[in-house]
Amino acid sequence: MAHYFKSVLTVLAARGLQAIIVSVIVGIVSFAMMQALPGDAAFRIAAGRYGYDMMDAAAAEAVRLELGLDAPWFVQLWGWLGQLAQFDLGNSLVYGTPVVDEIATQLGYSLLLAGGAVAASLMIALPVGIATGLNPNSLLDRICMGLSIFLRAVPAFALGVVLVLIFAVQLKLFPVAGFRGIENLILPSFTLGIGLAAVSNRVVRDAVVDAMNSDWQLFARTKGLSARLTLTRHVLRNAALPVVTYVGVQLAYLIEGVVIVETVFAWPGIGHALVHAIFGRDIAMVQGTALTLGLLYVALNLCVDLACRGIDPRERAL
Amino acid sequence: MNTSIQVKALSVFAGKECLLGPVSFQVAPGGTLVIMGETGAGKSLIAQAILGTLPAALRAEGDIYINGNRVDQLPQVERAKLWGRDIATLPQEPWRALDPLMRSFGQVQEAHRFVARRSPDEAHQATQSAFQTLSLTGAEQRLPGALSGGMAQRVAFAAATAAKAPILLADEPTKGLDAERHSKVIDLLAEVPQAGGTLLAITHEATVARRLGGVMLVLREGTLVEQGPTAKVLNAPTDSYTQSLLDADPQNWPVSAPASLGETVLTVKNLAVARGNRKLFQEFNLELREGEKLALTGPSGIGKTTLLDALAGLLKPQSGTVLRDPSLSRHGIQKLYQDPPAAFPDRISLSRTLKDVARLHRTDWNEVLHHLEQLGISPALLNRRPDEVSGGELQRISIARALTVKPKILLADEPTSRLDPITQRETLAMLAGIAAKTRISIVLVTHDQNIAQKWADRTISLVAAPASTE
Repeated sequence: MAHYFKSVLTVLAARGLQAIIVSVIVGIVSFAMMQALPGDAAFRIAAGRYGYDMMDAAAAEAVRLELGLDAPWFVQLWGWLGQLAQFDLGNSLVYGTPVVDEIATQLGYSLLLAGGAVAASLMIALPVGIATGLNPNSLLDRICMGLSIFLRAVPAFALGVVLVLIFAVQLKLFPVAGFRGIENLILPSFTLGIGLAAVSNRVVRDAVVDAMNSDWQLFARTKGLSARLTLTRHVLRNAALPVVTYVGVQLAYLIEGVVIVETVFAWPGIGHALVHAIFGRDIAMVQGTALTLGLLYVALNLCVDLACRGIDPRERAL
Repeated sequence: MNTSIQVKALSVFAGKECLLGPVSFQVAPGGTLVIMGETGAGKSLIAQAILGTLPAALRAEGDIYINGNRVDQLPQVERAKLWGRDIATLPQEPWRALDPLMRSFGQVQEAHRFVARRSPDEAHQATQSAFQTLSLTGAEQRLPGALSGGMAQRVAFAAATAAKAPILLADEPTKGLDAERHSKVIDLLAEVPQAGGTLLAITHEATVARRLGGVMLVLREGTLVEQGPTAKVLNAPTDSYTQSLLDADPQNWPVSAPASLGETVLTVKNLAVARGNRKLFQEFNLELREGEKLALTGPSGIGKTTLLDALAGLLKPQSGTVLRDPSLSRHGIQKLYQDPPAAFPDRISLSRTLKDVARLHRTDWNEVLHHLEQLGISPALLNRRPDEVSGGELQRISIARALTVKPKILLADEPTSRLDPITQRETLAMLAGIAAKTRISIVLVTHDQNIAQKWADRTISLVAAPASTE
């Protein structure tokens, strides 16, 4: 057991260090990108605060002075990094509320969507991948291969719109957008989940094919275990290892997808907030949300590492 | 007559090509059948045809009866019902036959639980007593990767025989085992016919055949060359091939000429190594001279492989020093592995693997071809993938690969334990010839005292470290 905790601590330390590095890089890059955006930031922020009809050059000038937007870029960067080091994300430039509070609400929604997407993708990828893996090169296998390529090639926003048209507009099974209850979760989850499953079902399939062709699979059979017991006791666990690792790799796609799909479905999550903050030049919000998404990626990878250690006893053995 | 296994005119085809047969034989309960022959002779095909596990590309013809019932025309699902309950199978590669993610106790226990259909408590007890009988105590919680070859073999034996199937098929059961384990496994196997069961053993070792007795088939390239009572075949073989197979037994090898020794190339002082928290042995001392052929022997599990890793600099010693001669380059020490298929990338052709090594070390390709020729490997074989050549060929290709790096020291970890005696003798003779010609020093790890005595200039026997008090 001591070995197990030691290896978990190693993982935690490595991911902790990665989190710090990600914070600094994302902090600098998001700052630089906001600086590089064309247009007058003070003007856009003033418009966000008072509405386009209610603001004028004087209001924009007041905003500029209040937020210190006229200071040289390195002074602003230094101020931002200094705040970051104190775990202070500042206040929204548009709403004046603390960024942390905004993100805390949105993050919950985004995690719900991400969780829903992973669940949806596994619901599709596992049965399809196992069925095709047990019957490689069958008709089913080839059809799934074609479908996978097609679905992976369709961008998430297009898939989302198609799902809305079929299941919300035509069949009226699910609401179109927004968030009122759990029924709103289904369509965006599957929009993301189908894209994830399009690749991961093939990974499951290959892992199952490899396991089924192994010497230990044959020996499990010839020592007398039934095909079903061999599958559940040996094949699935061995096949799970590459699959879990791959799901970790897919998280990058997931985070990118969250930004797009939340916008399509008006989902009150962090990706939606990021897009709005960019339009409103709410620099503090952009930096805060980008940072959260970066750290989310590190945290999800940590979960994958720990899951792999749970499945593979070799990692924690002597 | 009451028979356990009866085979009538069995042939195995790959497309139109006949790989085996026709062979016919029958064994009654209490009987033993030994199948002997070199690698690639089709010995395993017989076992696979009886079990119904031939690869999909192969086709069997002929009649097979198990306990009087014809099985060769049964659907696969029905044949699978015999596995574990009527026919037990010992795998050829015990390491690869065990689930790498399940501890050894679990792999035996599940056979008692689900195949012998015992209650969880009974299965647990039966597994415990099996581990005791096979002197596997202490290995219960180890993963297959942490077992020695001999231990893995015994774990597989315990799992395969849990449901006490009356027929046991053993494919090369003593491959890679040290002398002591070797005779223990033979004793285990010999108990099967004594208890009224039926044993079908595939081997290339005459000593194994002699001790198991019964009747014997000798195969060469898929053709039956001799058949009769084992003792008679071994004592008075009528076929010249059988005779050459017997001559290849290390017991009957001539003693090799002593090498002329040069400077010291490797000095080891007070070396102690550990795998994980397990201390293996300590105060190992060695001075290896140029051109020397050294054999390291010792019981299985003592850490022969780990010692080689330490000598190669792949493993940090717990204490002591391994000092290379300064003239040795970084790649001056090369290692040959016990399991050749595991030492090659699966899906890449052999020629690409070799060419990559040659390019990396700026070795002339003609030189590589010359080594291959010396080792008796035709260049045409290189277009194949590692799983498309025999184990003996692959091991010789891996020797050629190691020589491509122009090493001064070759560490060979039981390089021939998976080969049949004729190929083994040829391979080791080639290795000795290369050592004499190129002045390479070779450290050969072997469990076979006969090989050590006949082949090496000097033998070091490893003994276990006293149990640590930690």
